[in-house]
Amino acid sequence: MTARQEALPGDLKMWVLILSELAVFGAGLLAFLALRLGDPAGFAEAQSHLHRLGAGVNTMVLVTSGWLAAVAVEAARAGQRWHLRAGLGLAVLLGAVFLTLKIQEYAALWAQGISFESHAFYLFHMLLTGFHAAHVLAGMVLLALVAGLATPRAVEAGAAFWHMVDLVWVLLFPVVYLL
Amino acid sequence: MTPATRTLTRCWIALLLLAAASTLVIGLSPPWLSLAVLTLAGAKDWLILTRYLGLSAAPRMARGFGVVLALFLICAAALALAA
Repeated sequence: MTARQEALPGDLKMWVLILSELAVFGAGLLAFLALRLGDPAGFAEAQSHLHRLGAGVNTMVLVTSGWLAAVAVEAARAGQRWHLRAGLGLAVLLGAVFLTLKIQEYAALWAQGISFESHAFYLFHMLLTGFHAAHVLAGMVLLALVAGLATPRAVEAGAAFWHMVDLVWVLLFPVVYLL
Repeated sequence: MTPATRTLTRCWIALLLLAAASTLVIGLSPPWLSLAVLTLAGAKDWLILTRYLGLSAAPRMARGFGVVLALFLICAAALALAA
């Protein structure tokens, strides 16, 4: 295949969705960093209330679920229905673990009397991580649906969405929790 | 285990190690911390794009994504270092 004929793997519509989601989150993260320039000390103090280790664990949970989804795609191509459903089922389970840890994080902040009105940092933190968590939930539903369909094309599309959720978190985690 | 699954598993292990490294470098002083965590994030995203999403089979597309990712990380690093 020549360079001109080179095509994106998987469904083009899913790539358009991936690019648009990355653009939205990328703009949100850069706006967050730009806003931080006006109050670096306040942002650092607010960030110290977050559970960095829990967010780090959540990164490992998501990349592991991404691996399971990728392995499920290989199983779908090989016609191994049981393997693909097991892989996607475990990926969905890890998505639930991710959301549970996220809810615990919000609850811990709430218990400290912190809400999105407390500081601009928390407004962005909750908007960005909440929007991402909504994508995790949508991805879990999508993976469950494509596990039912069990066709290679459907599983590829579902897994691609799930990897987009991974991609976003991998950028969101250092910007919001570590910098 | 097929060669494709073996490649995915190696990618997953690399991602776990990079994720662990991201959490461990928080002891670094600010300028180095920003550069280290953003470099590690870029490495993780590159692995997800090329291995999990299969862009390694489309090198020109992968390079395009790589340029956009690098531009984002450079902007993020500049804003982080300016704070």
